Amino acid sequence: MTTAWRGAWRRLAGSPWLFAGPAVAAAILFVWLPMASTLGLSFFDWSLLRQEATWRGLDHYRGTLANPDFHLALVNTGVYLAALLPLQVGIPLVLAFALVRVKAKATGRLYRTALFAPSVLSFPVAAVVWLWLFNPTVGFLNTLGGAVGLPPQRWLTDPDIAIWSVIIVAFWKSFGLNLLIFLAALANVPTDVTEAARIDGASPLRQAIDIELPLISPALFFAVVTTIIVVLDEIVGAVDVLTEGGPYRTSSNLLYFLYERGFRHFQFGEAAAVAVLIAAIVAGVTWAQFRFGERHVHYD
Amino acid sequence: MSRAVSRRHFTLAAAALAAPVVLPRESLGNDVKVDLVHLFSGAEHPIQKVIKAFNDKGTGVTVVSRQDGTTYETITQKAMASIAAGRGPAMMTTGWKLGDFARKTLGAQDFRQIFGPDRTQALLAKFRPQVRPLAAIGGVPIGLPWSMSTPVLYINQSLWTEAGLDPAATPKTVEELYPMVRQLQDKTGKQGLCYEVNEWLPQAFIQNAGGDVIDGDGRPVMDSAAAVKGIEAFVQPRRDNLWRVMTIPEMVAAYQAGAIGVMASSSARQSVVRQAAKFDLRLIQMPGLAGLPRRMNSGGNFLAVYSKVKEQQDGAYKFMEFVTSKEGFEIWLETGYLNVTTNDIPVRPGSEAAQAQMEGGLTSETIWPGARGLEALTVHIDWITKIVNGAVSVPDGLRSDRAAIDKLIAA
Repeated sequence: MTTAWRGAWRRLAGSPWLFAGPAVAAAILFVWLPMASTLGLSFFDWSLLRQEATWRGLDHYRGTLANPDFHLALVNTGVYLAALLPLQVGIPLVLAFALVRVKAKATGRLYRTALFAPSVLSFPVAAVVWLWLFNPTVGFLNTLGGAVGLPPQRWLTDPDIAIWSVIIVAFWKSFGLNLLIFLAALANVPTDVTEAARIDGASPLRQAIDIELPLISPALFFAVVTTIIVVLDEIVGAVDVLTEGGPYRTSSNLLYFLYERGFRHFQFGEAAAVAVLIAAIVAGVTWAQFRFGERHVHYD
Repeated sequence: MSRAVSRRHFTLAAAALAAPVVLPRESLGNDVKVDLVHLFSGAEHPIQKVIKAFNDKGTGVTVVSRQDGTTYETITQKAMASIAAGRGPAMMTTGWKLGDFARKTLGAQDFRQIFGPDRTQALLAKFRPQVRPLAAIGGVPIGLPWSMSTPVLYINQSLWTEAGLDPAATPKTVEELYPMVRQLQDKTGKQGLCYEVNEWLPQAFIQNAGGDVIDGDGRPVMDSAAAVKGIEAFVQPRRDNLWRVMTIPEMVAAYQAGAIGVMASSSARQSVVRQAAKFDLRLIQMPGLAGLPRRMNSGGNFLAVYSKVKEQQDGAYKFMEFVTSKEGFEIWLETGYLNVTTNDIPVRPGSEAAQAQMEGGLTSETIWPGARGLEALTVHIDWITKIVNGAVSVPDGLRSDRAAIDKLIAA
C-alpha cells in the first residue's frame, strides 16, 4: 500500500462517516429517495403498465383538495383519532393501575394474558370473529340488544354506525399493547416513594395521580405518540376487513383513501399527492405533540 | 468427526441448491406451465377438479391454480400489479363487468390473433348461440364464456309454508312478491327479504323497467325515467321494512341460519348456500316488473388469456378445449354456473330455475367502459348504496351517479 493510500485510509478510519455511512446510505435509499420520488410522482400521471408519465403540475393537489371523498376521509381520520386516542390510552392506563394492585399473582397473570390476547391476532383473524358478532340478523350483539329491548343495528352497513364499529374493533385489537407499556412502567416506579406516600396517609387514588402518573409520564407520552401512529396507519387493516371504507366511504380514513387511489384505481399520481398531503398533516400533528405534550413529561 | 469438503462437492451442492431459483420453471419439467388466476377458494372447489382432470390427461401442458383474491376487483387489481412487474397471469377468470378494462388496460388477448380465426370459431361454436355474442368485448373475442350465472330468488321453503303461502307459488313480478314477503315476515317474525347491494342486482331492476345502465355506445344512462322506476322498485322493500340492508357475506350467513325468508342472489352461489342451510330451499326465477317485458341479466366471468408467450397461449387453448368438452363442463357445473355449452348435460337439481331463466334470454352484465372502468364501477356501487340507505332520492342519486361516471369515462 502506498503512503498516499495509507494516509487516505487513516483519514477515513478516523472519520465518523465510516460508522454513519451505512445508516445514512440506508436512510437515503429507503426513506429519502422514495419520499423524493413520491413528491415527483405527484406532479405526473403515471401509467403502471405503459410506464409512461404525463406532466400534470398541481392538478392532483387541486383535485384531491376539492374531492369530497378526501374531505370525508380527513374528517373520519379526526373522528378515529378523537375517539381512539382517549380510549386506547385512558382505559389501558386505568386498567394498569388496577392490575398492579391485584395481589394474587396467578389472577394478575390471567387478567394480563386475557387483556393482551387480542393484540397478537391479525386483523383478518379478528374480523372473522367480529363479522359474526356484527351480523345484523343473527349476530351476538343484536341478539344481546334484543334481549334488553334494543332495536337491531346494521353495524357495518349503516353509514352512521359503521365508523363506530371499526372503532370498537380497533380498540379491542390494539389496547393491549398500551396496557403492557403502562404495566412495565408502573413496575419500575420505586416502591420506597409509594411506600412513603402510603405511610403519610395518601389514598391509592392520590398515590396514582400525584406520584405514579408523573413518574410514568415518559411511557404515557410514548403511548400517545405510538397510538396516534397506530390510529393514522394500522387502522387501515380494520377498515379493510370490516367495511372496505363503506358504506359509501363513511368509514374510510386518509390512509385508506390513499390505498384506494393507488392500489384499487391505480391513479398513482393522485395517490402520490395524497401521500404528500398526509405527510404534511402527520408532520403537523407530530410537531404539536412535541411542542405541547412533551413539556408535561418528567424524564427524571 | 469433521470431514473436509472438496471444492468439487461444494460446487455441486451449491449448484443443486441454486438450481430451482436460477433455472426457469419450464426447464424443470417438459410440460408447458400455464398459471390460471382465479377467485375460487377451497381445495374441493370444482376449479381444482377441472384443473386436476386436465393435468391428469398428460397433454404436455400443466395448468397451475393460483387463487389471488375473492372478488373480481381484487384479482384484477393484483393482475395489474403483476403484469406491471412482468409476471402477469397466463390465464385469468375475468369478471364480465371488467371486460373492457381487461381488454384496454390489462391487455387481454384477442383469440383470433393468438389462436387464429378457425380455432377461435371452433372453440366458441361449443357455446349456445345466444351466449356467443357475450364472449366478445367491443366485438373482439377475448374470453371463453364458461361461467355464467343469473340472479334468482332463494326461498326458505320452511318459512314460506309456515307463513301459509302456497308452497309452489312462483311470483312473476315484484308486485306479486312483496305482499307475499310481507305475509312471511308478519307470520314468522323473521326478516322477509334481502337483496344484494351491488351493481348487478340493481341492473336487473333497471333493465326490467326498460332502462339500461350503460347504453350501446358506452354512455351511462342509469338516470333515465325507466331506470328510476326500476330502482324505485328495488328500494321499495327497504322503505317498507321488509329488507334490512347488509353486506353479502352477512346476508348469506343470515340466510343459511334460517333468519331470512327470501334472498335474491346469484344462481352460482347455490352450492355455497346449500352447504350450511338446514331447511328446505327452493330457487325460483327472479321476478320482473308488472306489465313490462322481462329482461334479466347474466353475470360471472370469462376465461381470458394474458400471456404473450406462444407456448402458453397454445397451452391455454388445450385447457379451454378440455373445459368446453362434456367431461370438463360436467365438472364445472358443480359450481352452480349454467350450462352455456351445446353439451347434452342434464340440468343439475336446483339449477332448473336459473337454466329456464337463461333459456328465456339473458343480456350481458354491464361492462364498465374506459381505462377507469374499475373506478367507475366503485362509484356506481357507492351511489346505489346511498340510494338504498335513503341518503339521497332515487332520481337525484342516479343523476349524480351518471354525472360522476361521465367524468370518469371522459378522463
